[in-house]
Amino acid sequence: MIVELGHFAVVIALVLSLVGIASAVITLRTRNVDWARVGRSAITLIFVLLAIGMGALVTAFITRDFSVAYVANHSNSKLPFFYTVAAVWGGHEGSLLLWVFILSAFSTLAVWLHWRTQPMIMPYLIGVESGVMFGFLALIIFLSNPFTRIFPVPPDGKDLNPLLQDPAMVLHPPMLYMGYVGFSIPFSFAMAALFSGRLGEEWIKVTQRWTIFAWLCLTTGILLGGYWAYYELGWGGYWGWDPVENASFMPWLVGTAYLHSVLVQEKRKMFKVWNLFLIIVTFSLSLIGTFLVRSGVLTSVHTFATDPERGLYILMFVATVIGIAFGTLMMRSNTLKSQIVMDSLVSRESVFLFNNLFFLVATATVFLGTLYPLIIETLQGAKVTVGPPYYNTVFMPIAIGLLFLMGIGPYIPWRKASTAALKKHFQVPTIAAMVGTLLLLVTGIRSAYALAGAFVVIFAATAIVLDFGSIARLYAHRYHVNVVKGFVSAFAHNQRRYSSLVTHLGVLVLVVGIIASTIYQSEKVVSLRVGDEFMIAGYHLKLVKIHEVEGRNWIAKEGVFELYRDGEFLTTLRPQKRIYTESQTPTTESAIYAINLGHVFLTMPDVSPDGEAVARAVINPLILLVWSGGGMMGLGVLLNLFRPRKKDA
Amino acid sequence: MGTTYKKTGIVVSILLVAGALGYLALGNFGDNLVYFVTPSEVRAFTPDHSRKKVRVGGMVVKGSVHTHSEPVGLTFELTDGAATIPVVFRGIPPDLFKEGQGAVVEGYWKDGKTFYATMIMAKHSEDYMPIELKRAGVQLPKKDFMRTLSP
Repeated sequence: MIVELGHFAVVIALVLSLVGIASAVITLRTRNVDWARVGRSAITLIFVLLAIGMGALVTAFITRDFSVAYVANHSNSKLPFFYTVAAVWGGHEGSLLLWVFILSAFSTLAVWLHWRTQPMIMPYLIGVESGVMFGFLALIIFLSNPFTRIFPVPPDGKDLNPLLQDPAMVLHPPMLYMGYVGFSIPFSFAMAALFSGRLGEEWIKVTQRWTIFAWLCLTTGILLGGYWAYYELGWGGYWGWDPVENASFMPWLVGTAYLHSVLVQEKRKMFKVWNLFLIIVTFSLSLIGTFLVRSGVLTSVHTFATDPERGLYILMFVATVIGIAFGTLMMRSNTLKSQIVMDSLVSRESVFLFNNLFFLVATATVFLGTLYPLIIETLQGAKVTVGPPYYNTVFMPIAIGLLFLMGIGPYIPWRKASTAALKKHFQVPTIAAMVGTLLLLVTGIRSAYALAGAFVVIFAATAIVLDFGSIARLYAHRYHVNVVKGFVSAFAHNQRRYSSLVTHLGVLVLVVGIIASTIYQSEKVVSLRVGDEFMIAGYHLKLVKIHEVEGRNWIAKEGVFELYRDGEFLTTLRPQKRIYTESQTPTTESAIYAINLGHVFLTMPDVSPDGEAVARAVINPLILLVWSGGGMMGLGVLLNLFRPRKKDA
Repeated sequence: MGTTYKKTGIVVSILLVAGALGYLALGNFGDNLVYFVTPSEVRAFTPDHSRKKVRVGGMVVKGSVHTHSEPVGLTFELTDGAATIPVVFRGIPPDLFKEGQGAVVEGYWKDGKTFYATMIMAKHSEDYMPIELKRAGVQLPKKDFMRTLSP
């Protein structure tokens, strides 16, 4: 009954999305604000109805109502409660419902939040958001309905994919979707600016926090996905250039470019067309990302069942949105020529320009690598893949270039930098970077990438640390307080700038983690029996025993390993080889020990009946910096998001 | 005159950087493409193919899997129904690698006799479909279609 109620609510929401589109058009025709109110009510109601729809689906999962096909396919009676809720977005249909539910929540929030201050924008916002919601709701109702019943009712459901039974996987999809969907708000404002011809800087300022919020969610989602892959998939890596990882990385790359490039328009009124282009591309790539994952055109750990109809529908929908957006942009672009030209190559404008260039080439690379196989297959029928070496080769130089720009960008003056200014800001960082790189060379680091990476990281980090130090001293001196208090008040005085620098520092920490754990990773695979031991990178591992353990919906063989270093006992590691009983799916559960900011990562992928086990140990130096750097980036963004409003300049 | 000169400088440097990056992105592309083939196609390989990395999809022949421990690895046979190739792999196969089920191996057909795999992929789940296998025309019972192969 409650399932039918949910289904009905979603159908009504579909109808209301049409009302939203119609009300937007009528408002623009009649200039009668009452119609915009109708649209606002429609959007708000859609949110309420989709909340009912989500609630109904969650209830069906919690009550384990296997007469619902989607519930039966993605959960069973033994699935722990925590994961029955997460199972709602464990498959295609529920994921789409979550996507559009988040979209409706954001649209409702945006409509009420900006109603008073942005009356001219409202009809466009209502129209664009309703249009996108219509597209997704129609897809849900007609092609991938999570409320469909099955008969006869199966006695029990199939299991949720064991790999998805994980806390990080509970949060990963909602975070990604919040990121994707969050970009729809600046996108709507951009479309409003284009349609209405009010092409000033206002739309950018109004949507600034939305953009930052969306970026934060997308970044968190990607990092969670990497973290999950790291400990759950059992190969000891966190990024494999999997097509679906790429699908979420592309909007991130362009979104990041956009985040930086809007600053130029705010301060210098340049890059107007470019910013509109970037936000359109960002949201389009968010839709393409959804399309790639949800249509089944890509073979990957994430891709759900292939359904050509569904794929074709999403493709057409994405094409329509992109077509309308770019069509309008092209028609408007000649009225958008900025009157200001760039004065000098050695200026902050120019650094931003190159930042954008690097980010876009990175995006194009990922786009090419991800979609080329699809194109080749369609045209020639041949199956190809683009391997990780390609991405690594291209991304290393791009990353180093971007980090260098990150070092100079915040300190180089606008318009034109004098030699004196350059010397003042960059003399010390350059010396520090040279000294640091030399020291690493002396200590035996020979990898060119590690050295180049170290150089730019030290350069950029020194610039930021010097900056923090000097503002702390300045404010301490001015207000006669200690340096820490001085730093805090300086930080609060221009929180937008300094919180961004915290994010930059986070990026640097993350990069050090990536370089160290990629280049200096060591791995060893051995076959051993109880009592045997092996060495890896100075660590000593001894298999003490193998025994059976049991969970709610799995049984496992657990290897008990003692970890020693220099004869000193460190810990006991317990990797497992699990079999999920419902689906009879085997998984390899890793055991991890953190030491010196790095990880000893151990799996036991195989145990033969006669007691011979295969163990795989990976030493990942400094890998904790990847996650702590990610956390620091997030902290910086939060400080940016929740900065005092009046200080906005 | 000065302004024009400056502008040209900016445009030229942008084009230079863009060109270098474009070369970086496109110049490396061709060498990194890995083609997907069937065991029958591998059998038809000429010696020229021996240095080209490929992916081969097929079914693991029942009873053909032999593991060894020094160093850890395994050998098995991969078939598409029409042709069969022997595969050697050093390392640990994925959790879902099993006899009588689909697998994709990546590696080299080095000496015209044996396939040296550097990676094995196998996946099984109700939700996942073996797109590569299906398109490669591998005939499997309906039940076995419920597998996919993931990088």
